[in-house]
Formats: sequence, C-alpha cells, structure tokens
Amino acid sequence: MSTYLRPITSKIKNNGCSKFGVLFSLLLCLIPDVMSQAKGAESAANSNSEQVTFVRLTSNQYRNTIHDIFGESIEVRGNAASTGVREAGLIAVGGRKITLSALELESYEILALDIAEQILQPSRRSTLLGCTPDDEALVDQECAEQFIDAVGLHLFRRPLMESEIDSFAAMAQAATQTLGNFYIGLQAALVGMMISPDFLFRIERSVANIESPGSRQLDAWSRASRLSFFLWNSTPSPALLEAARSGTLMTESGLNEQVKRMMTSAKIEDGLRAFFADMLAFDRFDTLDIDANLYPRFTKNVEDEAREQTLRTIADQLLIKELDYRDLFDARQTFLTPALAALYGVPIPIRQELGGTVPWVPYEFPEGHARVGLLGQVTFLSLFSHPGASSPTLRGKAVREHLLCQTIPPPPPDVDFSLVRDADNPNFKTVRDRLAEHRSNPTCAGCHTLMDPIGLTLEIFDASGVHRTSENGAQIDTSGQWAGQNYEGVSDLVQLLKDDPTLTSCLIQRVYSYGTAREPNSAELQWLNTTHAQLRKEGVHWRELMQRISRNPDFYTVPNSTEMEF
Amino acid sequence: MACRKAKQTNRLWKFVVSSLGWLVIALPFTPLLAADNLESRGYVISMVHTAAYVDDQTCPAGTNGTRPDVLIRRVMSEGYGEEEAISIINSVRINGGRDDAGNLVGTAITLGGGASYTGDQSWNDFDFNPANVPSAMPDPNAFNATGRFAFGLNLDGGEGPDSWEHPNTGARGIDNQMWRVLGCWDAYHVNKPVIPYNESIAWDTAVDAMPAWLISISGEDLNQDGAVTVTFDRALNIPLRDAYGSIMSGASFAVDTNPRSHNEFNGQIKDSVLTIEPGDFYIQGESQFYPHLQFSNTQLRFEMKDDGSMEGHLGGYQPWRDYYHYLSVRGETDGAIDLIGIFYDLKRFADASPDPRTGENTAISSAYFIEAVPAFHVDDTGSLLAESVGQGPKFSGPAVSQYTEQ
Repeated sequence: MSTYLRPITSKIKNNGCSKFGVLFSLLLCLIPDVMSQAKGAESAANSNSEQVTFVRLTSNQYRNTIHDIFGESIEVRGNAASTGVREAGLIAVGGRKITLSALELESYEILALDIAEQILQPSRRSTLLGCTPDDEALVDQECAEQFIDAVGLHLFRRPLMESEIDSFAAMAQAATQTLGNFYIGLQAALVGMMISPDFLFRIERSVANIESPGSRQLDAWSRASRLSFFLWNSTPSPALLEAARSGTLMTESGLNEQVKRMMTSAKIEDGLRAFFADMLAFDRFDTLDIDANLYPRFTKNVEDEAREQTLRTIADQLLIKELDYRDLFDARQTFLTPALAALYGVPIPIRQELGGTVPWVPYEFPEGHARVGLLGQVTFLSLFSHPGASSPTLRGKAVREHLLCQTIPPPPPDVDFSLVRDADNPNFKTVRDRLAEHRSNPTCAGCHTLMDPIGLTLEIFDASGVHRTSENGAQIDTSGQWAGQNYEGVSDLVQLLKDDPTLTSCLIQRVYSYGTAREPNSAELQWLNTTHAQLRKEGVHWRELMQRISRNPDFYTVPNSTEMEF
Repeated sequence: MACRKAKQTNRLWKFVVSSLGWLVIALPFTPLLAADNLESRGYVISMVHTAAYVDDQTCPAGTNGTRPDVLIRRVMSEGYGEEEAISIINSVRINGGRDDAGNLVGTAITLGGGASYTGDQSWNDFDFNPANVPSAMPDPNAFNATGRFAFGLNLDGGEGPDSWEHPNTGARGIDNQMWRVLGCWDAYHVNKPVIPYNESIAWDTAVDAMPAWLISISGEDLNQDGAVTVTFDRALNIPLRDAYGSIMSGASFAVDTNPRSHNEFNGQIKDSVLTIEPGDFYIQGESQFYPHLQFSNTQLRFEMKDDGSMEGHLGGYQPWRDYYHYLSVRGETDGAIDLIGIFYDLKRFADASPDPRTGENTAISSAYFIEAVPAFHVDDTGSLLAESVGQGPKFSGPAVSQYTEQ
C-alpha cells in the first residue's frame, strides 16, 4: 500500500483550466490545454521571466511514480511513452526536447483511464481516498477536493494551486452529475491530472539564486524532483516533498541530509538501473531483431534475460560489492539463467521448481575465459550487431560513443558496403579480411581505424553472443591496437580500456548530464574534470559519484538562457 | 544409492557454491580433474518415439487406415452395408451414431466416436467404455506389419521366424514384435523425418512440462573405442527450447537423486557407436503418454555424431499393457488407431515374460528411436557430473520433423 497519500492542503492561487467535460470527453477538452500550457511554459522560459524546462517522464519513471504513489498492486498495463531521442549520448538529454503529440496524449489518456479505474476500485478506496461520500450518487465537494489535493501533490510533485484544485474538482463534479457516481467523477479528475503536462513532464522552474546574484537555481519543488528522479528514478517521496515545502532542501545541510537518506534506500538501485539502461543504449532492445533462423538460441526469453543480466551485474558490482566502475569491464562474476548459461555454454546449478520463476544463479567465469565484463555479455554483443551478422563496426562505434563519449561521424552517402556484407566471399572469409579491404578506401579508413580494431577483437562472439573461434572455416584473429599499443585478445582490450582515463571521465560526464537532462556548461565541465581527477585516484565508486553530484549546488543551477538549448 | 556415490566420484569439474546459498554468493567455478581420469559427457533426451520403418513389404495388403476407417469397419461388422456405414459415421457428430431408423449403432458410438459427442456414453444400455474392457469386443483382426526389415535390436541373441533385419546396418535377428502390432496403422506407417502422429504430439507437449530424461557416458577417452559406463536418469528440470522449438544443447540439468529412475549399464564405444550390455531399465516420466518407460533385457545402439549429439534405438521387452495404457489415454481419435485391435494384437504378439499362472506373455519386444543432445549434468550440490560436449544439431526433438524436408 502506498504511504505517499496524505492530505496536504497548500493551495496556490492561479488561473488554470476550467472547462472540463465528463469522463469520456476529457481528451477533446484537455488537449488544447495541455498544448497551450506547454507553449506557455516555453514562452516563459524564452522570456526569462521564470525559466522553465520540460523533461518528459520515461516509461519506467511513469511506472515507478504510479507504484510509489498508489502502490505496487496498481498495474500499469501499457507504455504510452515513445522511446524518445538520444542527445549527447543519452535519452535523458533528448527527453528535454520531446513534446507530446495528440496521438501520444490519447495513449496516455487510455493508460490513465485504466489506472484511475484500478485506483478507485471499492477495495482500494478506503486506503487511498481518506474520505467517504454520504451518497455515492452525489457530489461530495469536500471529499473530492481533499482527494485531488492529496493526490495532486504527488502527481505534480508540488502542491496544486487553488485554481487547479477547483478545476479538477469541477471536472469531478461534472462527471459525477452526468454519470451518477462520485467515484467515477473522481476517476475523471484523476485522469485529468494524469494527462496534464505537470504530471507527464518534469517541469523545472527556477528562482533567483540569492547567494549568487544574477544566476538562477531550481526552486525547491523542482530540486526535489531532479534529485528524486536522479537517485531513484521516481517521484519525490513524502519526506523529500516535506523538505521542499519547509525550505530545508534549499539549504546545504538539508540537501545533504536528504541525499544521505536517499542513498541508503534500496531504490538507489532503480536509479542506477535507469542510468545504465540509458547510457548503454537499452532502447535498442525495442528494435532488436536478431535473426532466429541464424541464431536459434537467441529467443525472446534470452533477450529479456540478457538485459536483466547486465543490469543485475552492474547493480551487484557497483552497489553491493561497491567495486570501481572500471571493474565492470573485466569482471568475471555475473548472474545467469538456465537459458543464458546454455547460450554461454557453461553449466550452472539448477534448482528451478517446475513451473516456477526463472532462477538467477550467481556465476563466475573461469580465469582466462574469453567472456569477461560488460563487453562479453549478450546485451552488448547483440545490441550492436546486425540481425544476421555480428558487426565489428557497430561494436567499435558503441565503445567509442557510449563508453568513451566520442563521436564517430556517419558514413558518407556513397559508400559501397557490398564487400563488407558479402560473408560468403571465398577470398575474404572473415569480416577482418573484408574490412581490411574496405579500409583501403581512404574515405572509409579514418573512422573505421577507430572502430574496427575494438569490434574485430569481439568477433569471437557472434551476433547472438555465442562464443566461436572461426568464421567460414577461418580462424578468428582477435588481435588489435589501442592507442598505438598492440594487444592479443579481449582480456588485453578491456585492460587497455580500463586504463584509459576517457572511460571514467565519460561516465562522470554522462551521469551529470543524465541528472540535469542537458550537457554541462563550461563551469560544470570544470567541476567534472576536478571530480574526475579525484575519483580516478580514489576509485570511481557509484555511491560516491552520485553523492558528489547530488550535493553539488551547481547541479541545481539553471544556466543562462543563452547557454540553454530548447 | 551406491551407484549415485560411484557416479559422484567421476566428477571432472567442480564449482563451489557458498554454504550460505548459491543465490547469495557464487564462488569461482573450479575445474577439478577426477582421480580416476574418467571423462563424462552429458546428454538430454530430445526425442522419443516408436522406431518406425516402412517399405513396400510392410503392409502388402494395405494399411488399417485411420479413425473413420476403423469406425466404418466396426459398423459394417454389425451387419450394415458399406454405404450405410459411411453415412452413419459421417453424421455421427450430429446424431450420436444412429442409423436411418434411429437405432443406436453399438460400436459406432464407442471410444469417443459417437455418442460421447452428444453426452450419451451408454452402449446398448450399459454404461461402460469398451477401451477399459477391450476383450468384451470382437477382435477386428487388423492388418499387421510383415516383410523383412524393421528397426530394433537383437534382444535374445538369436534369429527366428519372427525376427527382422535392420534396414540400415543389416543386423539380423532384430526382435520387435511391437512393430508388427503398430506398423500398419496409418499414424505409425511413416518413415523419418515423419514421427508417429500421436507420439509426436505427446512428446512435443510433454517435453515442456516433464522433468527431462538424461543420459551420461563415462570412460577414459570417449573419442576412442573402449569400455564405458552409460547411465539414464531423470532430471529435476525441464529442457529448454530454442527459437526453432529444438531442444537446446548445452543446457544444465540437475540429476534427480531418487534411485528409482537411475539406470546404469556397462557399455562400449566402437566406431562411434554406443552399445550396452543387457539389463533392466526403468525411468519415470510425467507425460500422459510416458508415465514411465520400462524394459527388461534392455539394449541400445546409438550413433555418436560429430556435433556431439547421439541418435539410435533403445529397446527391450516392454510390458505390453503399458503401451496399451499409453494409447488408451490418448484415445482413438488422437492415436488414429483402433484400441480394440491394438489390444488383441499386443496380446497376440507378446513374446516375453510369461505369466507364471496363465502362461500368457506379459511383455513384447519393442524399440524406440532416441535422440539426445549435449547437456551439462550437475548434482544437487551444484557439482558438475558430466560435461556438455559439442554444439548439438541445428534441429533436434520435435523440430526435426517440422524443419526437415519430407
């Protein structure tokens, strides 16, 4: 059961939407309001009167928020949020540039209708509502306002303005009168709140920073949201909202206290998982299409379990074992399911109850095994492959772009890839041979020299992640060169990768950008460089990194509008 | 349990799991060479079905047809003409098996063929199912398989008038009277890659729910000819499927420590062919078709393939009432057979284990096609008992008949 819903009555006067219809005509009424509010906010941001930025909730944030507010028993049966766009290496940054189409809003409304119906089922009313109408067929204005006020605080992550409460209460009243049921009226109000931009977007509002005249910082409510979604990937808890309401969150000690409290919560893993799913481009799972005819072991179950394997391993290494981020790349310890173990070709102890849930078994690859670290997992290997073939280029590019924050330009439009794709060419049995020929074209050589050596080393894993030693009967050569240094295989490659300072500086920059949903400005880059230098010596530990960023006042500073890009 | 302990001494590798529970902490997977330097390879059985072989000598007078043919013959045996019998059977779902005068035609309504569709389970005013008392029905004298060739094994070491010749190896003295019973029913009158219909469906269903059946081979060097030990065991977990529906090679199986389904045979590998010394065999299943598989004088002949899999025949003298039970549970419609006819033929062709009281043979020589793919075997402590060697075939189990050109 949710512990979030407690009545707090903090009404703020403002003008808002007031023309709501009944439940099933909500959409037509609300779309213009949603759009106008978004435009209004943008306009306000541009005029610099009150800088406002919108960051759309991801599907996981939406789900986590619903569960936190209303309880785990509420099923979020659908996913209205599109994946979004990747900017500066992160979907989170691209989320700042996403608006909402009418079609998406309709999807959100369908989702909200279902959720609202669940929330107001008779079995949940007593725990989630806090009041009971005298007559279910009639409007109970006080009870409706109490519910809207309490729920609105958590959905909007700030207290509702009085006008907003009035608007949603009017909506509930209209629906109750038309449909003859108080709870259906509340459903209408709830749906209205859940398709409001104040819920679907993290709306970050700023106030003048009195300690730094001329600059602006997030207001307390926005600070709470940023911190909560950064650390927990979910909506602020009652304690965090209370810190925002009281103003303590705007103080150094108050902020530190909240950060300390949140870092000890198990929800910190949700935040870690969300970040790495973004950084490692898990959105590619949405369109992953490894050809089952060629790679029959790569079933849908394997795909889902591979995703979980990676996140579970990262959480174990960084949160439980508290290892250095760099250790992720040569770690031999992981977790496997029976299907993953079969794909990896290793035995695991099986204790699965027939018909039971899929067991996750801790497993350590033997010393000297080629499969080490994140680069040896099915997730990375399959996400950066073609449907019918592994791709040294995609894998190399992924390492450069996602792990080292480098940018590889797209290929020129007139490049002939036919030889690279001709896997049956008897003169070029391995992709190494074919890419060598491809690189003989000077136009291609520049980028491929950066990407291919990394990917060619990983050619001992096919597109599905299965280990192999030959391609078309020819032995696979895993040697390569990194920053002018020759190496022999995967183990050497990951050691060189670990030693490269770009690996850790990239992580730190990405984490910061993930939290702010934008690229750091010059002042922030300076702080990040200093932090990187310190952590590289002390160890790049997840908790330490998150605490440092969360406690950094600049993390909540709003750059001048000239530095911001909408 | 003595066999179990002996087997555990043959571990090649061992991975150690924390005593606090392997769900909490995993310690390194540590390969250990067994003291006796034995190599053990593990397999999971991916396909089981009656060993079917047909050629133009198998049923020279024709086959017994399928379900409608059976029913038509039954109706005709009660004095109806062929045309009238066909009419009765064609409308059996509508009128529950009645003739033009509205009379209930006795045999037409039995065994799910007639009145059961309308809820009337009676037969000549008696509430009973003839499949439960098949001897109450007349023997339909179904066609039986004949000819020279059939799959199987020479169980008695000799050659007699009922022996077959193995179509692939040319081995003589093959004992497989079960094939005489089944070979002329259309559902069984098939050659690989087609699988006897009802067994195909039964296995395809069972394999996703039934604890797997495992085979291990242990010996000094399994790539060379020599003596080996062969075990059959039940697993605690079910097989995995790949995207083709094949049984996935390289999966891990925990061996059930219950000795009831543990079988151990002395065997040998010669020219990549595995055979065993005869013995008793019992393994429990959890399928409606294979609640267990049981033989006396068990033999096998498996070809060991380059991809690490094995296939061949496992056979012995099987209690014939077991097989009748398997078929009757499936029913005549699924089995596409005549249970009464099968009953009489099983009884007629049974060739072993005479009942000391009646003298009636209680077992029948039979042979099953077995395919097994590489698998890891582990014990209940997580120790590795047998290695998975080889990638396995591209198609295995039920997928073979679906993806192989027929």
